[in-house]
Amino acid sequence: MNRTTLILVCVTIGLVGGSGILAPNARAAPGPTLSIVAPANNAIVGNGSPVAIVFAVTNFNLTEPDAGPSTPDSGHAAVFVDGGFAETSSTNTVVIPLPSGPHAIRLQLVMNNGSALSPDVTASIAVMVTRGPATGAPGLSIASPREGALLGTDSTVSFRVTNFVLVPAGGPAGVPNEGRIRVRLDGANYSELTDDAPLHLNLKDGPHTLTLELIDNGGQSLTPAVAASLHISVRALVGRVQPFDATPYFALANVLLGLGIVAAIYRKLEVN
Amino acid sequence: MARGAWAIAVPLVLLSSLFGLTMEVRAAGPSLSILSPANDQVIGNGTAVIVRFAVSNFALVQPGRVGQTVNPTEGHVDMYVDGAYSRLLTRVEPISLSLPSGPHVIRLQLVQSDGSPLAPDVSASVRVLMTHGPAVGTPTIAIVWPKPAAETGHDVYFAIEVTNFSLVDAHGQPNAPNEGHLQLVLNGVIQEPRAYDLGFIVDMPDGDNTVTARLVNNDNTPLSPDVSTSVTFHIAGATNPIGSEQLTGSVSGILAVILVVLLIRRRKAVARFSDQKDRTS
Repeated sequence: MNRTTLILVCVTIGLVGGSGILAPNARAAPGPTLSIVAPANNAIVGNGSPVAIVFAVTNFNLTEPDAGPSTPDSGHAAVFVDGGFAETSSTNTVVIPLPSGPHAIRLQLVMNNGSALSPDVTASIAVMVTRGPATGAPGLSIASPREGALLGTDSTVSFRVTNFVLVPAGGPAGVPNEGRIRVRLDGANYSELTDDAPLHLNLKDGPHTLTLELIDNGGQSLTPAVAASLHISVRALVGRVQPFDATPYFALANVLLGLGIVAAIYRKLEVN
Repeated sequence: MARGAWAIAVPLVLLSSLFGLTMEVRAAGPSLSILSPANDQVIGNGTAVIVRFAVSNFALVQPGRVGQTVNPTEGHVDMYVDGAYSRLLTRVEPISLSLPSGPHVIRLQLVQSDGSPLAPDVSASVRVLMTHGPAVGTPTIAIVWPKPAAETGHDVYFAIEVTNFSLVDAHGQPNAPNEGHLQLVLNGVIQEPRAYDLGFIVDMPDGDNTVTARLVNNDNTPLSPDVSTSVTFHIAGATNPIGSEQLTGSVSGILAVILVVLLIRRRKAVARFSDQKDRTS
């Protein structure tokens, strides 16, 4: 290769390199990214605990709002819950208390002045918050009285609930492990229970069937259904000491005395 | 000592000191310790647990910064609660955790900026026990009403006084110190586990009844040692005689008197007519 050729090759390489063909990656720095590390999408947050959202960013410096100039590689995360702005975070963890029910959480990277990046950098998840436990199958059992018990007119029924929290009616439907108890007596709806206070019954004499069933906030049976039934017999004044009642005997005596009086009045005198 | 000897000794000492210091610096790698709570500490009254920790020889930085390079002297702290990822910490500041009743394990781990653990691993763990009850103190129980030997009707409210113990709704949560339910036992038969210090038993049988009030854990097992108290009271039966019996009995008495009077008058009349008949004959 002569000197002229070598110069031409070097000039060509220089022109190509200068035009950016050989070094596109060095010039176009990757943009910021955002991902939500925890909780997982569609996670259930139990016990009414606040939701701790952990997010990760790349190529982005988290700074306090209004701290320094607005550049596309620094700022903070804006947190939106169910479409509404909730708060901002300049750390990788943000803790938000949420009521029972499904929630959509969206994070968005914004610059220090609060304006969105271009292109927009966001990440979203859905979570379900419940006052009940996040895991475990609900259970229900009747603690007292025993199956087949003979009870008086008034009685109380106590029960035990596991992995399920009783809450007042009106909550969002579809929330796992929270709701109330539907009481059915002899096949008909009797009442609904929203706490674990014993159920008070006032029943007429005879056999009865009591059924307790866990239902969700929407009034629907759980899947699978969770219920407990009890068969009892009622007889008034069970356990009462019955005093001797002479009323029928007095009544009979009154009849006889009345007849005696009538006879004494109207019977003819027998004079010897 | 000769000047030449000093000239050799001093640099040697300085070099050895420097070498020793250098070794010490190399040996002191990143460390992490949990300052509070103490291991197995009971966190009472349903309050949040405040986790305080210290980090040394390790710089806490936000992961994912522009131009960040990964190296083992900087990174962040990952927090796990009961094995589940909970927090990403880039500042040494107290962390408040609201946890349900029961035992929990909190673990902190130093990781590099790309999330990879250090080699060797640097982490610290602590066990805590959460409860809605007080963290310390011995539970006690007393029946305020009815009093022993009291005479009552068939439906009775029981006023129970509980100290150093929190009554909570039962929903299958794990046992926790000084937290649980109240159990009422009527004549040996369990009536109801309750979350309230006011019991109610209806339609109790006539005569003497003994009710035992017992504190139980969330799973309805008795405390250890047992915390219970009993009271025996009397339920009076129906009054005797009853109203209808009194009424019919009184009527019987009146009718009997009337009948006796009529019979006496009739006897006198018979005697009078007999005398008149004798005189006329």
